[in-house]
Amino acid sequence: MLRLSDRSPTTLGAYALAALIALFELTILWQALHPTVSDDYRAYYIDKTTTCLPQPVAADYTLGTQLDFRSGGDDTRELRPCGWDGPAGDGMHSIGQTSRLRFEVGPPQNLTLSMELTGVTLPGPAEQRVLVSANGVDLQELLVTPGKTERFTIAIPKEAVGDSGFLDLKFDYPDAISPGNRISNTYWRSVKLGRLKLSPA
Amino acid sequence: MFPLSLETKQDRPTALLLLLPLVFILSGTLIRFLAFRYAQPDADWTSYFGALCRWDCGWYVRMAETGYDRFPIPSRINAGNWAFFPFYPMLVGLVAKVVPLPTIVLASLLSILTAYAAVLAAWPLLGRSIRAYALYAAFMLSGPVSFYFTTFFTEVMYVLLTTLVFRFLGRSNYLGAAGAAALLSATRIVGVFASLSIGVQALMDYRKTAGTWKGVIPGLLAQPRLVLSIFIAPLGFFTYVAFLNYWVGDGLAFSHTQRAWGRMIANPAVYLWEGLKKWPDNGALFSNSQILALAAVAGLIVTGILAWRRQWPAVVFCLFCIVIPLAAGLASMLRFMTAMAPLTITVATLLARQRIVFALSLVAIIVSAWFVTLAWMGGNVALV
Repeated sequence: MLRLSDRSPTTLGAYALAALIALFELTILWQALHPTVSDDYRAYYIDKTTTCLPQPVAADYTLGTQLDFRSGGDDTRELRPCGWDGPAGDGMHSIGQTSRLRFEVGPPQNLTLSMELTGVTLPGPAEQRVLVSANGVDLQELLVTPGKTERFTIAIPKEAVGDSGFLDLKFDYPDAISPGNRISNTYWRSVKLGRLKLSPA
Repeated sequence: MFPLSLETKQDRPTALLLLLPLVFILSGTLIRFLAFRYAQPDADWTSYFGALCRWDCGWYVRMAETGYDRFPIPSRINAGNWAFFPFYPMLVGLVAKVVPLPTIVLASLLSILTAYAAVLAAWPLLGRSIRAYALYAAFMLSGPVSFYFTTFFTEVMYVLLTTLVFRFLGRSNYLGAAGAAALLSATRIVGVFASLSIGVQALMDYRKTAGTWKGVIPGLLAQPRLVLSIFIAPLGFFTYVAFLNYWVGDGLAFSHTQRAWGRMIANPAVYLWEGLKKWPDNGALFSNSQILALAAVAGLIVTGILAWRRQWPAVVFCLFCIVIPLAAGLASMLRFMTAMAPLTITVATLLARQRIVFALSLVAIIVSAWFVTLAWMGGNVALV
């Protein structure tokens, strides 16, 4: 058996190799504790400050078009970066505590957003608050009743639209409901989106 | 598990040992194929391999074909395949470069070959009892959950490498155990805990040789092979972390991506208790949660038997491999338990003690393969 007291080249070589591997493993560990990732990645996977990880979408949209988000309705995949589950017969279900929609809207102008929302019927608060923002500008807080479909209209000023040519709508659900015990907030529920339209004001 | 014999020749497989698992390969394939025909009578027979490839199997097929996801994930989902450790799917992917077969067919053939090797490797750990060996071979190749070991799951490689770790440790061959453990740590995340087994075995060996715990640390550090082994054992894990650092920018992506599956870390005992008291509401004997919780309880009981036998390296390994996944919930607990070689080997040795128990167990293993395979193809969630 090899022993330290041998001081043979094989013994010293074994220790040297062990030290080298240890150094490699420590370096890897240090790197792993200091990830180099995008803000979106960090917020969703590491800091867990959002449940909505935006995926790249084409966002093609013609202003004034009414979209049906229910099953059998329009194909809205390229407008939904994250936070939606479906479509289902009663609409596109929000999943997590935030959902996003992205639309190509062209040059800055005042817009009107109209949409139908239904609150989920899981045991929870009497109303679901939905905080709507566009391109980072807070617009309005909506109150959605469980099991009831309501139409909401929101004015979007052209300052919020900006010059990017895209409108990023964000829906935050502070009252989202966990569907069961010990279920991550990435699976919490709040509202169902039926129809939606963005039109010039 | 039993200690290895002093005479290494006794641990070599005989013609009977080589042939017996082949019988169960045939019977298992026949049972699973007939269950497939029964469940999907209109399906073409060539879709047999694909029909048995369910749940995580689909992820492994894609990994073998296209490798790991970048970020953003091309399919625009949050669940990156970084959660799945690379060794077995990448091995299949490499073999697929030279063997022109559909991935699932090739993977199934490789899995059967790996399961066969795992059974052969377990012979000395089964106490060189032909009855225990037959039961273990039947369980792996023709048993109720043999689809885990004969389609495309990492479990089969996990079983083989775990068996090799404990065979090497049985002879205090730390470097051999470390080599197997290094691959094991690249096969499933809990494989990294085999490093602890090597450390525990070294401690036991020191105590046995020195007759005291005095001077244990210098005594261990004075063994260059052991020191080298301790750092080699988790090398597969660290290599995968290094790859993720390079590929995604996050070496811990395998853990972080669990968020997309909605896993919540909690007290394992709470998950266990909640599972046990979740009674079925559909007239079944047990709910899926109860089946999964009972699988974990059975695993803990067999770990207790290993502790009773003072097989501490296996005890440490099993405890970590049960408790750590349990902290993330009961999901896949049945699969995890049935792929824990120290546990299933121990159960096989217990059931083989009496001839009548052995005979009944063998019949139960083979008959249940039919029903559980049907449940598997029916999408039973307890089997995920």
